[in-house]
Amino acid sequence: MKTQGLFSKTMLGLGFVFLYVPILSMVFFSFNNSRLVTVWDAANSPTLKWYGRLFSDGAILSAAWLSIQVAAMTATGAVILGTLAGLVLSRFGPFKGRALLQGLTTAPLVMPEVITGLSMLLLFVSLEQLLQFMFGWQFDRGVATITIAHITFTMAYVTVVVQSRLASFDDSLEEAALDLGARPAKVFFRITVPLILPAILSGWLLAFTLSWDDLVVTQFVSGPGSNTLPMVIFSRVRLGVSPVVNALATIMVLIVALGVVLSAFLMRRQEQRRKREEQMAAAG
Amino acid sequence: MRTAGARTGTRESPGRLGPIWTFLFRYGPPRWTEYVLNNWSGQRLVIAIPYAWLLLFFLVPFLIVLKISFAEFSPLGRPPYEPVFQWLDEGALQIKLLVGSYVYLFNEPLYVSAWIYSVKVAFFSTIFCLALGYPMAYAIARAPPTQRNIFLMLIILPFWTSFLLRVYAWIGLLKTDGVINNVLQYFGIIDAPLAMMNTSFAVYIGIVYSYLPFMILPLYSNLEKHDLTLLEAANDLGAGPVRSFMRVTLPLSMPGVVAGSLLVFIPAVGEYVIPSLLGRTDQLMVAKLLSDEFFLNRDWPRASAVAIAMLLLLVVPIMLFQHFQNKELQAAKR
Amino acid sequence: MQTAERRADKNKTKNEAWRDPHAEAYVRIENVTKRFGDFVAVNNVSLKIFKGEIFCLLGGSGCGKSTLLRMMAGFESLSSGAIYLDGQDMAGVPPYDRPVNMMFQSYALFPHMTVEKNIAFGLEQEKGLTRSDIATRVTDILEIVKLESFAARKPHQLSGGQRQRVALARSLVKRPKLLLLDEPLGALDKKLREATQFELINIQEQLGVTFIVVTHDQEESMTLASRIGVMNRGEIVQIGTPTEIYEFPQNKFVADFIGSVNMFEGTMIEDLPDHVRIKSDELGSTIYVDHGISAAPGAIVYTAIRPEKINILRTPPADTTENCVKGVVKEIAYMGDVSIYLVRIDTGKTIRVTLPNVERLSDDERIAWDETVWLSWHGSSPVVVTQ
Repeated sequence: MKTQGLFSKTMLGLGFVFLYVPILSMVFFSFNNSRLVTVWDAANSPTLKWYGRLFSDGAILSAAWLSIQVAAMTATGAVILGTLAGLVLSRFGPFKGRALLQGLTTAPLVMPEVITGLSMLLLFVSLEQLLQFMFGWQFDRGVATITIAHITFTMAYVTVVVQSRLASFDDSLEEAALDLGARPAKVFFRITVPLILPAILSGWLLAFTLSWDDLVVTQFVSGPGSNTLPMVIFSRVRLGVSPVVNALATIMVLIVALGVVLSAFLMRRQEQRRKREEQMAAAG
Repeated sequence: MRTAGARTGTRESPGRLGPIWTFLFRYGPPRWTEYVLNNWSGQRLVIAIPYAWLLLFFLVPFLIVLKISFAEFSPLGRPPYEPVFQWLDEGALQIKLLVGSYVYLFNEPLYVSAWIYSVKVAFFSTIFCLALGYPMAYAIARAPPTQRNIFLMLIILPFWTSFLLRVYAWIGLLKTDGVINNVLQYFGIIDAPLAMMNTSFAVYIGIVYSYLPFMILPLYSNLEKHDLTLLEAANDLGAGPVRSFMRVTLPLSMPGVVAGSLLVFIPAVGEYVIPSLLGRTDQLMVAKLLSDEFFLNRDWPRASAVAIAMLLLLVVPIMLFQHFQNKELQAAKR
Repeated sequence: MQTAERRADKNKTKNEAWRDPHAEAYVRIENVTKRFGDFVAVNNVSLKIFKGEIFCLLGGSGCGKSTLLRMMAGFESLSSGAIYLDGQDMAGVPPYDRPVNMMFQSYALFPHMTVEKNIAFGLEQEKGLTRSDIATRVTDILEIVKLESFAARKPHQLSGGQRQRVALARSLVKRPKLLLLDEPLGALDKKLREATQFELINIQEQLGVTFIVVTHDQEESMTLASRIGVMNRGEIVQIGTPTEIYEFPQNKFVADFIGSVNMFEGTMIEDLPDHVRIKSDELGSTIYVDHGISAAPGAIVYTAIRPEKINILRTPPADTTENCVKGVVKEIAYMGDVSIYLVRIDTGKTIRVTLPNVERLSDDERIAWDETVWLSWHGSSPVVVTQ
């Protein structure tokens, strides 16, 4: 047991080093004055020069704003659809076409993005043709198509999160509510949703991150003038390293780290308070 | 699901417009809503909403891709393919299906080597990911609960930061004047910088790095549920640590191994970003070929054929994955 | 068993509606069957339950009692048959439209609501109640279950017994005519269980609600019930008052299930209207029963004798030919109020005898291990069943 524990612990340590060295090096070199990023310019570094450049870079800022908007809309749409799908798959009895729905909700989890991106683009093109033929409408791809595409593949993740939360849920609570006279819709909104709210919230955040970060699908379905942040970053880094990107990365890492630590801290506090209350109750 | 038209078909007087159009014109949106609410139970509506979305935006697109893969490339067309279904003047429907694109895919050396390379890279990346991820998941699962949560948080944290940026980070590490080369040269371990960028090695690193959380989490969730008294019983019966691991822990963790491996392998085959930024320029992976066919050559039929071929290649692993997903969910219900 | 008898006496002064062939049943279960695939959970059950009763469905796990209860509440559909509540056929009626309420085994208290809101929830679903109406009714029911000062607490801040009372209050506040209780006392410890049993009975009488209780604990059913329905493998095996079930089981299963019993297989050698003699090889002697039974001549019958109805004698009685057997004391379990003796008789069978510790005896005065004793019982004690 001891040697085995040692081996896996060592691997754990190495693994964490492996995971964090790239991120930390990115952060570190964002303060490097040299344009070459990885050649430390000791004379002029550390500097905040690149952060200044970042905040005056219009392309990046407008792309970031677009990405935030798309991500927020995507996350909200994905949560609504994903929660409904998760509810249907875990609570509703067998119905015709259930297997297909199950398949449709889990396939996006592993589907390579080039396939999803291409297929959605072709759909939009066909829809464009159809609508033009029927109503004479003409629409261009842009924020709407990006959002629709993002919702489609992120809702799978929300479904999985909600479904697994509902699976471990005591459904006698819902039965009790039904028994007390509440109709199914009421039960859903007043009992189920408040209790799976953490899962819904983490689903929202998950969908937001996935949408915010998406490159391949977005490249396929975006239109002229709708550049998201990943698209801008990608076009820059194809040509090599860019210190402004390092600065951007550092800011994102900071935000995420803060968020994760904060949420862990809040959850810890809530757990402790709960434990204390339960102990008080047991005592009488 | 019954459509509105099917219901009212017999009621409406047959005018010049078909029953569906009459229905649509007689009843505006408020009446539609009323109709649906009165005639469809709430349950069916709830099922219908996500179902309709997924059918329209996920399933139908695949059918369209399939259709276009059989179309004829017309370089100057907008869109650049000949219509597959065409109504001719005499009232006949002409269906033109070309399998040329598919034939090309399986004969052209560029593609053949790309298929093989993609599967090879995905396969070995999965193995490496497993080799690193399994011990990590094991160590976390055996750690005391407070430490466990911290470790999990540390694993998840990179996942929430941008995938693109993390791959970018490796450029800074692997390039000729990058961090690794600088450090190795500084300590005199090597004389000249190693060429690590734009190699298969870089792609392996990139994939393992990006997909590691996807391997660790299913493994961890499986290992965490193991009953440790089983191992104690094995020890008590005379099995040493290696033996008990091989005969007890490893078999029990197989569902997690399979789930994690599929979560890495399937998307890795179709990976685009990592080979673009870190990979070889002389040997491409399939996703890059698809993208080039589509954006550079504007050959939509061929790009569609690549997508369909990729789907066919992955359909068995995808179904395996879904099978295991379902099993996990059933187990969680108990 | 004293409490059961007291309860039975109480019933004599109450309206024993089930004895009246013309009485209208409040709950009518007619030929109800429930299948899950190939498995038959409830097999052609018919039952009549009357207003004001506490009816207990008693049985081991998997006997179908919970399924039957859930069918009454509306959570399971019927494979065949019908359930009538207050004369109305409940087919297709969803749980929220039925005049019944259910108290769940896990209590199912809403964890994100206070005690007050939990109880008010059911009232809020009803039409025509104002906020102040609801508040009054909540306060009233909290008084009845003695939880007035806990109104603002959340479920995880309550102990097990308190949670159980909240669950009870939540279902009773809607003033249902019928309350279904699924293992209501299962999660409580012994002392609390006993106290709560009597509280339940009092509340039921106070409010006049009909209770249907599902339980596997026969002591609980004996204390609570006005009538018990014993279930086995999806079927009702016997229905009766606790006394009837205990003293007059109709078959081996019921005799064995309720309390402990000594069972002897035998054949009838004398069958007369006023008495019966049974020869039993298991016993090694003859059993004399002082009442007639109906069985085919020469049929195999089973005689059940309860442990407390057997006497242990240190010297042989006058007549050792019938209702008497010799044996050696193999085990003694001292339970404080009673002692249980396991006596091995010559045929190898072990007989269980319960004796109350009426006197405080010193060790050498008490019956000891390996002592030879005679067991005897009165002719009215055996119960003979044919299946």
